Amino acid sequence: MIGEISHFLSLSAVLFLSLILIFNLFFSLNKFHPNQLMLSMRLFNQACWLVFISFGMYVYLAISDDFSIAYIASHSNSQLPIFYKVTSIWSAHEGSMFLWIVFLTAWSILFVNSLDKNHPLKKLTLLMLSLIILGFLLFLLLTSNPFERILPFGAIEGADINPILQDPALAIHPPMLYLGYVGFVISFSFISAYLLKGDFELQWEQDIKNWSFVAWIFLTMGIALGSWWAYYELGWGGYWFWDPVENVALMPWLAATAFMHSLFASSKSNVLKTWTMFLGILIFALSLFGAFIVRSGIIDSVHSFANDPERGLYLLSFSGLITLLALSIFAYRLPALNSSKLVVSGSKESFLSMNNILMITGIFSIFLGVTYPLIIESMSGEKVSIGPPYYNTIFSPLILIAAIFIMISVDALWQRSMSLKALFISVTAPTLLSLLFLYLIWRVTAVFSILAYIGIFSGFLILFSYLFRMINNFFKKKYINKGSAVAHIGLGLLFFAVSMNSILSYEKNLNLAPGQSISVNESVQEFSFKDIQVFKASNHDVISADISFFHDGREISLSPQKRKYATRGQITSESAIHTSVLKDSYLTIGDQLENGSWTFSLKINYFIKWIWFSAALMVSGMLLTIFKKKVL
Amino acid sequence: MLQARKNRLWKLIVILFLSAGGISLILFSLNSKLDLFYTPSEMLQADIKSGYRIKLGGMVKNGSIMRDGTIIRFQVTDFIKEVPVTFDGIPPDLFKEDSGVVILGYFINGMFEAEEIFAKHDENYMPPELYMEEGKV
Repeated sequence: MIGEISHFLSLSAVLFLSLILIFNLFFSLNKFHPNQLMLSMRLFNQACWLVFISFGMYVYLAISDDFSIAYIASHSNSQLPIFYKVTSIWSAHEGSMFLWIVFLTAWSILFVNSLDKNHPLKKLTLLMLSLIILGFLLFLLLTSNPFERILPFGAIEGADINPILQDPALAIHPPMLYLGYVGFVISFSFISAYLLKGDFELQWEQDIKNWSFVAWIFLTMGIALGSWWAYYELGWGGYWFWDPVENVALMPWLAATAFMHSLFASSKSNVLKTWTMFLGILIFALSLFGAFIVRSGIIDSVHSFANDPERGLYLLSFSGLITLLALSIFAYRLPALNSSKLVVSGSKESFLSMNNILMITGIFSIFLGVTYPLIIESMSGEKVSIGPPYYNTIFSPLILIAAIFIMISVDALWQRSMSLKALFISVTAPTLLSLLFLYLIWRVTAVFSILAYIGIFSGFLILFSYLFRMINNFFKKKYINKGSAVAHIGLGLLFFAVSMNSILSYEKNLNLAPGQSISVNESVQEFSFKDIQVFKASNHDVISADISFFHDGREISLSPQKRKYATRGQITSESAIHTSVLKDSYLTIGDQLENGSWTFSLKINYFIKWIWFSAALMVSGMLLTIFKKKVL
Repeated sequence: MLQARKNRLWKLIVILFLSAGGISLILFSLNSKLDLFYTPSEMLQADIKSGYRIKLGGMVKNGSIMRDGTIIRFQVTDFIKEVPVTFDGIPPDLFKEDSGVVILGYFINGMFEAEEIFAKHDENYMPPELYMEEGKV
């Protein structure tokens, strides 16, 4: 019964949203009637609440083990703790789409209600948001209905959640990521509304600035958490694989980052306004493209959901339609928009717009990398895939140029050209210091790789230029933008950590019998396999190995496990990780051989924890910017 | 021609030239970094140079997995032909006989030397090509 009510509420939301759109057809888009807006707002708020209540009831259904609902029956189980019963809702396509829509609705209702009731763009924004929510609700109910019943008799027991998803990170990573993805619906619909309205005296930056910043924080955290999860739980041993699904998250992130930068320039010195609007539209369009790639199953990836052409077609048509709609309005208004000032060359804005171009180049390269296999396959029938080498070669020069512009822009001024002399003074010290440290790294590690060295050098350029700025701030009381400094130091650290990780990390495959001890290399000594234990845990059997070894003289004990889950019979490996400041020891247990010995894989990952630390710095920088009294 | 127009034309030419250069650089690096995908039958027919990294997709043949220390040898089949594979390391959890794999590596003298083994995180996964083939068998 509750299932039907929940289903009915979602259908009612569809009805309410359609009513808003139909009702508004009878009025001119640009005219303002207080009562028309009031009625639309009421309908909209009610539609949003219907979605929330419907989802709340769905959560209740999952907790109460209603296995007559097909989706819950195939992704949950009565033996699961309540925590996983809830998270199992977004462990597959239908439920995660539902969550996606709930977040879309939440952002929308918060934003629309935050606008003043006389705000000239309120009505158009409301209509745009209604259209988008309506389209996705229809997608959910028509092609991926999570409420479907198993009739006439429901399942007695659920099929259980996939064991690799039985992890606390599942509770945080997808929700964070979705909050980031759909958060940019605000800039998308508000900018579209602004363009539709055609009153270019209005200021639009202030209204969406903080919303976009918060969405950016969620997106950044979502991506970083996903990478961390892949590392510690999924046993992939790395943090980024240039997998198509990672790439489609990186594209909106780059667009959002470019957007925020040009938003600063645009609201501070009235430049790049048109460009900023374009980016504001692009971010959400890329989020939708990502949803299409992941949910249509068109590209084979570890994340992708089952292949379903019907869903793919719907998503592609709907996303295409609203993107096209927004871009057409943009193109139509373009001639009237060219009123913003020109960028002064040599000013902070000019370097910032150069990096905007670089980020767009990055997006384009990723887009090409994601779609190229599809193009090749449809043209020649050959199956190809594009791996990390492509992205590494494309990104390392981009990173270097970006780092140089960041370094210069640290001392550059808004709206004023920088003299050649000032430029020379500000770049000399960081460049020389970076070269010196690069040389030291080469002496210490004795490894050389051109791409990695470009990355390390770029990281140093950013770090040292901010270091000098901080020294100047301390002694000469020169102004420093704290938020920007923290975020960019995070970026510099990220370049450094990623590159160092790529040259120093290594992997050893070992084969030992219980009781045996071997020395792996100069730094890993007395690797001993002490014992192997078999025991039962709540819903799985565990094989656990006791290993200890000396890593550079320090004793480390690790217990990697293999688990066999009762309901699905699926086996998962639990890697054991020991972390120190510079490096992680990452140990995975493999299979038992006929002679009774076991295989192990020992990975030594340098600077890997620094990667997530630098993401945390970027987020903190953003938070500092949001909470500063006068932001722009 | 007016000076202003001439200037604009020049700007346009420079922009076109630069973007064409950029795009061709990207495409060039794309082409040299492609991993071609083969099934065992295709791989045995194609003339593959040993330096090219490629992907092999198929099913792990039943009873073919042999272990020797950390080295694993097995055969990948598309139910028509088989390719022997060696891999040094720990394969993913879902790697088992009679299930789908995609392997990245080099084909050298009739032997596929694997660099990385992918088994999809879905127990019912099968490479799409084989899905069709199995329908026929």
